[in-house]
Amino acid sequence: MSLTRRHMLTRTIGTAACALALLAPKRMQAADGVQDFVWRLTGRAATPSDRLRLVMPAEFSTGYTVPMDISIDSPMTKSDHVKSLRVFAPKNPLVEVVQFHFVPERSLPRVSTRVRLAAPQHVVALAEMSDGSLLMAKAWVTVATNGCL
Amino acid sequence: MTTPVPRVMVPGSVSRHEVFPIKAIIQHEMETGLRTDSTGQVIPRKIINGFVCRYGSVEVFRADLHEAVAANPFLEFYLRATESGRLEFIWQEDGGAIYSLSHEIVVT
Repeated sequence: MSLTRRHMLTRTIGTAACALALLAPKRMQAADGVQDFVWRLTGRAATPSDRLRLVMPAEFSTGYTVPMDISIDSPMTKSDHVKSLRVFAPKNPLVEVVQFHFVPERSLPRVSTRVRLAAPQHVVALAEMSDGSLLMAKAWVTVATNGCL
Repeated sequence: MTTPVPRVMVPGSVSRHEVFPIKAIIQHEMETGLRTDSTGQVIPRKIINGFVCRYGSVEVFRADLHEAVAANPFLEFYLRATESGRLEFIWQEDGGAIYSLSHEIVVT
């Protein structure tokens, strides 16, 4: 096979297209890195959604026991419900916080609990819906002390 | 370490199809496995790693807890009243220990 000018051109374009495709998820991320975090964790892009509400205090005196309320708008029928709800603290030494499983027609996608945070950070909630979509919400929390040690 | 003591707050009676709240808490240190003692030895992880609520033997709510859940883990969640029956609450600890409570609910 001889290397012609046409060959070189198509190869260059192909390589450039591949590079762009690889960079695409990075280009989508917001400046806070939350989308990037979700991408690395799940291999999927999550949709920021008002249907998923993560309520936490913006400032809290201790990282040992920070209150957290989460609710999701969902009819919770067999065909349209929340499959699971996961919470992550990206700046904690161990990023997984908790995962909840609800049952259509039996439980509501609404929970409260208390969590530990190691540093000021965006806490991230991900809801996997029965149609396969992945909804995301985040809440910035500033804690005065490290609650993980 | 003190023996974990579970507690729940459940309404005694609810109307059919009504949504009612449940508060569940267990006294537990939730040792994360990230701390060291005075001699520099890592204190092994011992947390409540799971919680299940069954309503008339059907699982209606479940939580998988990790190290970042606060000590004395507290959960508030919401169920829909279907029929009178037994609510069971089960906490699973690292190492396999189980702590549980049950509560009869009257649906009118």
